[in-house]
Amino acid sequence: MSFNLKKIIKYYSCVFLIFFNYFTYAQNAKLSKELIQFTNKLNVNFESISQWYLNDPYVDEQNINSIGEEKLRTTHYLRLDYTFDDNFSAGLQLESYTPENLLNMSKIYDKDLGIATYYLQYQKKNLNLTFGHFYEQFGSGLILRSWEDRFLGINTAIRGIRIKSNINDNISITGLYGKQRKGFDVSSGEIFGLNSEIDISNIFNTLPNGSFTAGFSYVGKNEDYERILNETDMKIPELVNAFSSRINLTHKNFYTNIEYVTKSKDLRLNVVSAVNGPSFSESKSFKGNALLWTFGYSQKGFGLSYNFRRLENMRWFSERSFSYATTNPTNQLSINYLPALTKQHDYSLANIYIYQTLPGLTVENYQDPLIKAGEIGQSIDLFYNFKKGSLVGGKYGTKVNLNMSYWAKLETEYNDPDPADYVTSDNLTYNSEFFNFKNKLYSDLNLEIRKKWNRKFSSIFTYINLFYDKSYLETPIYNEVRAWIGVIDNTYKLNGGKSFRLELQHLSTNDDARNWIGGTAEFFFNSKFGLYINDSYNYEESNVPADTKVHFYNTGFSYAKGSSRFSINYGRQRGGLLCVGGICRQVSPNTGLTLNFTTSF
Amino acid sequence: MKYIILIFFNLLYGFAFGQETLPNIELKTLTNSTTSTQKIFSENELIIISLWATWCVPCKNELDAVSELYQDWVDETGVVYYAVSIDDSRTSNRIKPMINGKGWEFEILLDQNSDLKRAFGISTVPYTTIIKNGKVVYKHTGYTPGYEDELYYQLLKFSN
Repeated sequence: MSFNLKKIIKYYSCVFLIFFNYFTYAQNAKLSKELIQFTNKLNVNFESISQWYLNDPYVDEQNINSIGEEKLRTTHYLRLDYTFDDNFSAGLQLESYTPENLLNMSKIYDKDLGIATYYLQYQKKNLNLTFGHFYEQFGSGLILRSWEDRFLGINTAIRGIRIKSNINDNISITGLYGKQRKGFDVSSGEIFGLNSEIDISNIFNTLPNGSFTAGFSYVGKNEDYERILNETDMKIPELVNAFSSRINLTHKNFYTNIEYVTKSKDLRLNVVSAVNGPSFSESKSFKGNALLWTFGYSQKGFGLSYNFRRLENMRWFSERSFSYATTNPTNQLSINYLPALTKQHDYSLANIYIYQTLPGLTVENYQDPLIKAGEIGQSIDLFYNFKKGSLVGGKYGTKVNLNMSYWAKLETEYNDPDPADYVTSDNLTYNSEFFNFKNKLYSDLNLEIRKKWNRKFSSIFTYINLFYDKSYLETPIYNEVRAWIGVIDNTYKLNGGKSFRLELQHLSTNDDARNWIGGTAEFFFNSKFGLYINDSYNYEESNVPADTKVHFYNTGFSYAKGSSRFSINYGRQRGGLLCVGGICRQVSPNTGLTLNFTTSF
Repeated sequence: MKYIILIFFNLLYGFAFGQETLPNIELKTLTNSTTSTQKIFSENELIIISLWATWCVPCKNELDAVSELYQDWVDETGVVYYAVSIDDSRTSNRIKPMINGKGWEFEILLDQNSDLKRAFGISTVPYTTIIKNGKVVYKHTGYTPGYEDELYYQLLKFSN
């Protein structure tokens, strides 16, 4: 610990120096022309996150030594991009995880310091060539998306070569080849991709008040596979191919998109052994597909959007062994992007029961096996603005948003010629119904009303009513949860840029851990400096001791200037399923101090 | 080794105040066609670019607040306000109904795979910059109630 403490003092004295420089040099630096030219072409981004896990009797009670030996951990990112001229640019990203990655983040990144990504790019009128690491998305990402989200601890950049070309104003084509980032290494599987975007309405000069575009993509993954059992002579598909077609239509106030993806046969994730990791069924292989349909209509003061999505066996990784969600909860090495299409919430109590998308094919062995093949569902969003001066609108208008969603598991029938007690065989096959919504897993209704009372005072009222099948979405030891949540969020503006925000929340349910109460108070001294404190407290006896009569509190401050931001938080994190930014993972409870510094110039 | 890099970086920081130019980044419009930062910089002298997302409460507060003042800003300074959404496919279908439902009159562009966000080198939204003649002259992270007044003050400074 003392060693670690030394390290962090050293480190933060450097950060302090950076800040010091920022204020001293910034105003009147007299620099040579060459240096200015150099720095103007250089973009730098630096980010540092440190966590210090502290002793907390509550955490110790929950699980013994869940945090591990390393109580003090820091993660740094340094990204440099340099633009040589109109045609050439290059960059690299250094990352450091000392002594290991933060709690509940992926272990594949554990390394003291390393070059994480690098690239060289050539750009000329209608051509864009990238060598090295790149981020890419085809369509909505159902077939391919490589991306970075530091907050979620995910980076799926592809290292290889990418060519983008605009053949003319109406047709653009992208081709790529590479291996996906795997910590500081790359995947053993290779990815091939081809994408085209075509502006049909422009070619035929139709739809003056809208557009009609189409897109087609191919993505292939090639990965060796070594048979373990060798019981059948089924050909193991080493190359898995996926195709996407989509159209996108807008006309006046109306728009709609349809996308359909098919994925060729691949092995099914089978027995997961703690010692040998995941294994695959080597007798039968399965296809996957996805269908997404959205439409919307909007005019001034009114908006409506609708989503329908069906996913079957669509989880896809550049290495098969990463397809097991329990050992890879953060979706490292994922080729495509399959987020949950439910409303994303900011309030803490609204983030306890969150729908987690279930796009993959897995078989869980109980007395009757549970075939999880995918999901089907829909969501709808309505926005309405009551005009200023109307009865409901009042002096400043009233903004209302209603959001509803419904998600179900796919209805399936299975056939297993050689079943044994509590174990399904490799010969299991299944059939799914295409259009069946009956197996409800989750539904919610969200109503949000924004009201400005006067020049200084405004409120947001939120009401959420939800159903959450905890047994299916987490583990079968749990039951269904029906809950409603109410939030009142008030902001009061004071003079001189000061403001005060007070938010009160309540979650009501007779299920699971029963009722919660929560609140946040936040004060901004000006547009740069703010303080906050929040708490969520479960105040009823229930069958969930880990969440009974416990405070989960957080407090901290942040300081921001230009594009730099520094914040300190201290608090206790609830254990269990934590969902942020569309990714859910099991986290161990912890209490600690988090320091975050980010800057760019 | 890490500290050597930090110290190097520290020195660099002192000199390198003020990233001015941005690499050319492709962005989508609401009708699914493609535009680029180069293009919008060349077409407008004075621009505000604000990165936001439909799921970000302070972002929506900022856009709500600016939307009430926007017409005055345009009349006085000729500024064009680009609200660039970083929503990905999880929430991007909400963008159009939200902006219309709220009655915002900004130019809306989409940065679906965070390319512009990466080019700015930021990790949180909202993030607001003023760009004059293609050069970044002002930037700010976060939104607090009343910040729009400061943004207006900065805008006046750069409008002449």
